[in-house]
Amino acid sequence: MNGNDFTFVLDGENIRFEPGQTIMEAASQAGAYIPHLCYHPEYRPRGSCKLCTVKINGHFGTACTLPVQPGMQVENDTDELNLMRRRVVQMLFIEGNHYCPFCEKSGNCQLQALAYHVGMQDSHFPHFFSLRQIDASHPEMLLDRDRCIQCELCVRASRETDKKSIFGLAGRSTSTNLVINSESGLLGDTDFSIHDFAAHICPTGALIPKREGYPIPIGERLYDHQDISAVGHLHPNAAQRGESK
Amino acid sequence: MSKIRVATCSLAGCFGCHMSFLDLDERIADLVELIEFDRSPLTDIKIVDAAGVDIGLIEGGVCNAENVHTLREFRSRCRILVAVGACALTGGVPALRNRIPLQECFAEAYLQGAGIEAPQVPNDPELPLLLDRVYPLHEVVRIDHVLPGCPPPADAFWELLTALLAGREPDLDYALRRFD
Amino acid sequence: MYEHLENASNTDGLSRMVIEPISRVEGHGKVTLLLDENRRVQQARLHIVEFRGFERFIQGRPFREVPTLVQRLCGICPISHLLAASKACDPFILGALTITPTAEKLRRLLHHAQVLQSNALHFFHLASPDLLFGFDDAVAHRNVVGVIMDQRELGLRGIRIRKYGQEVIRILTGKRVHGTGSIPGGFLKPLTLAERDEMLQGIDQIIDWCVASNELARDLFLAHQPEHLTFGATESAFLSLVTATGDCEIYDGVLRVKDACGKIIVDGFDPARYLDLIREEVKPWSYMKFPYLAPFGHEAGYYRVGPLARINNADRMPSERAEAARQEFADFGQGKPVQATLAQHWARMIDTIMCAEVIRYLLLDAEILGTELVYSDEQLKHIDPVREGVGVIEAPRGTLLHHYKIDDDENISFANLIVSTTHNNRGMNDSVRAVAAEYFDGRAVTEGLLNRIEVAIRAYDPCLSCATHALGQMPLIIEAIEADGRISSQLARHDDGRIEQFI
Repeated sequence: MNGNDFTFVLDGENIRFEPGQTIMEAASQAGAYIPHLCYHPEYRPRGSCKLCTVKINGHFGTACTLPVQPGMQVENDTDELNLMRRRVVQMLFIEGNHYCPFCEKSGNCQLQALAYHVGMQDSHFPHFFSLRQIDASHPEMLLDRDRCIQCELCVRASRETDKKSIFGLAGRSTSTNLVINSESGLLGDTDFSIHDFAAHICPTGALIPKREGYPIPIGERLYDHQDISAVGHLHPNAAQRGESK
Repeated sequence: MSKIRVATCSLAGCFGCHMSFLDLDERIADLVELIEFDRSPLTDIKIVDAAGVDIGLIEGGVCNAENVHTLREFRSRCRILVAVGACALTGGVPALRNRIPLQECFAEAYLQGAGIEAPQVPNDPELPLLLDRVYPLHEVVRIDHVLPGCPPPADAFWELLTALLAGREPDLDYALRRFD
Repeated sequence: MYEHLENASNTDGLSRMVIEPISRVEGHGKVTLLLDENRRVQQARLHIVEFRGFERFIQGRPFREVPTLVQRLCGICPISHLLAASKACDPFILGALTITPTAEKLRRLLHHAQVLQSNALHFFHLASPDLLFGFDDAVAHRNVVGVIMDQRELGLRGIRIRKYGQEVIRILTGKRVHGTGSIPGGFLKPLTLAERDEMLQGIDQIIDWCVASNELARDLFLAHQPEHLTFGATESAFLSLVTATGDCEIYDGVLRVKDACGKIIVDGFDPARYLDLIREEVKPWSYMKFPYLAPFGHEAGYYRVGPLARINNADRMPSERAEAARQEFADFGQGKPVQATLAQHWARMIDTIMCAEVIRYLLLDAEILGTELVYSDEQLKHIDPVREGVGVIEAPRGTLLHHYKIDDDENISFANLIVSTTHNNRGMNDSVRAVAAEYFDGRAVTEGLLNRIEVAIRAYDPCLSCATHALGQMPLIIEAIEADGRISSQLARHDDGRIEQFI
């Protein structure tokens, strides 16, 4: 039974992993999809969106933060977990203001795609209708806080890759808010650029190029025909549209 | 077999969901062999049959007192109530007004807009009182089924109605569960 | 003629009758009648009772999303709003430059498809039961299902004309209702040869059906004279777009006004200057304002819009069979604009022939297959964008105006929309009063009589969905509701700030 020490069980399948990998990393490498929004392979996991919650030997845990141990029994694609994930996505929807009908990111949005994936059809909870500020001060990029899910991917990308530290989260609980590191608090008063890695990492339409406007026709968008578990996050046109990988 | 009775209405919506229903095209002619319309913008029946109807389809959110009244009438008289479209499910585009302070809304179009004569705020008792916000239906009454989308595709209406006619749970496949 | 019925001199002791909701029209409205003890009408009003507030809540939104957003004003003519807003926002990118020829043709194709489908919807799905079965037909039968049951081929024809228009829209925008397609500065997706051929395949049949439908509308009108000639009578001037040479035109052009006698009193008027022409009066009993032509005063400046205005105002139609139909219509008017409220259905079907024929012209134009839909950044390098724009279009129900300004961040800072149905507010109210006065005096009220009021409103094809976009007052009602649904407390704040506790 050589190599037995480096396998675990994911939804009944034996999966090999490399020592030090998280459950998420091992699953991704094996081609298994675990839903996630705040996880990105380039950055230290945060475990904040809770969508990658799996059941490990009967206990809940986030797949993006927990290292795999040999012989672990991990449940991922189960009714129980998917219902829980649906409630999490619904909470994200009612906490922000996600106007899919006219959002430029619609059809290419990971939040929306995850909602489709977990079978969400309504919002279940009362809507907050939170008051959030739009920031259009930057000439090339738009920050629409209504669509922000506070995953901190832009925060991490700007700090770790772009070395600019333009974004941060401030406030607590439902008042948590994406803030900009400039004296005015406006994106236009920073050295943020459309070529930054952080400009293309937002899973929703919170940070989008200002001058595109529905660039991909309905029917050709990333999630128009296929589930996020099948197509992942990268639009085939991503490269030509200047998006990072 | 007696036909099933269907009532429809639009609250704070744009009638786009009703249009999408009509996008069933020739299938409408097949459908009317199986269903009968009760109160609907497509008929001249103004009040849902007191004896109740089988299915109620409502598009639009709830923005004024009259919407609340109509929604409750539907709930009390429809065996199955279906929230149709983004406005019914989330408030939709009309809910963009929820972010505007009431004081600011007060003056814009009737007092200080372009080309206004006799500036005044309409206040006749015939005009229903507005609610403070536009609400999704599920915040006011219990909802049995939903059709997401702005509007839901015609095929989603087809699946819903044919499933309910056949006595099974509607099952919207991937292409029929759109949010836009 | 019946203006005195707008305000009863004394409402004491009058009984109230209400028609609500007005059905087989697109939107929310109600009619109230105040009757004296002899059942004579003392007051009649069409109220627009819904408020949505688009002009205010789009302020602060980026202009590039506004055309796609504001089409949610109306699910019946979303393309009109998509295009009027696109046109108003074009200068924010292009300055004085116009969109590319292919983009313009694609927008035109889209718009003609939309007017085609919307006119078909209105005539066949909503209005035809009154015309085919009579105003006193049984309530349960007087609807599109009744048409399908009794005259299946006719019902299916209406469905198929509408379907053709909707399919063109779907191909161009990705969806039949509320797609994306037109954007400020141009168009999103080119038309492929295969798609063009698919559209071409059905169009000749559609044109034939439209011609036949016009004959039906004409014959129904003529056969029911004199009642249909004087039903809901009112006399007004007419406003519409025409080309610089006076042809009927629904995508772009200049404003023309013909007075009730047929004299052209405004012509070649730049729509961007609409504020010099149109003033909107507010009345306390409706959320919809009452526009009139300011230079001519309230009475001479009373106008209507829509297919009747388009056909009355045009010197000629841009296509052959529509022009033949227009001439027949003009002959009927004997040199004067046709005023009959119910002749709007006839005019609408002439309009529909034009749409079908123009779609065919556009599809046969090689330029429509072009791929230059927007200008490159390089081409726009020396453009001086402006920060204010007005977009005007002839929506199915008439002239539609969108007017926007943007701030330094390119967000909307001002918006004014005058939708087709608003222009017809006075006309609809006049027709309602005429019917009320003609049919109610001293008689017992029957359902058929109430329906006649709605027949008059339906003739205008009011898109009350569009009409309710306006920003209204925000009176407020707060209720505390117990778990069993019982209201335990109710508090209302009136528009004047007065607070009233009901429970």
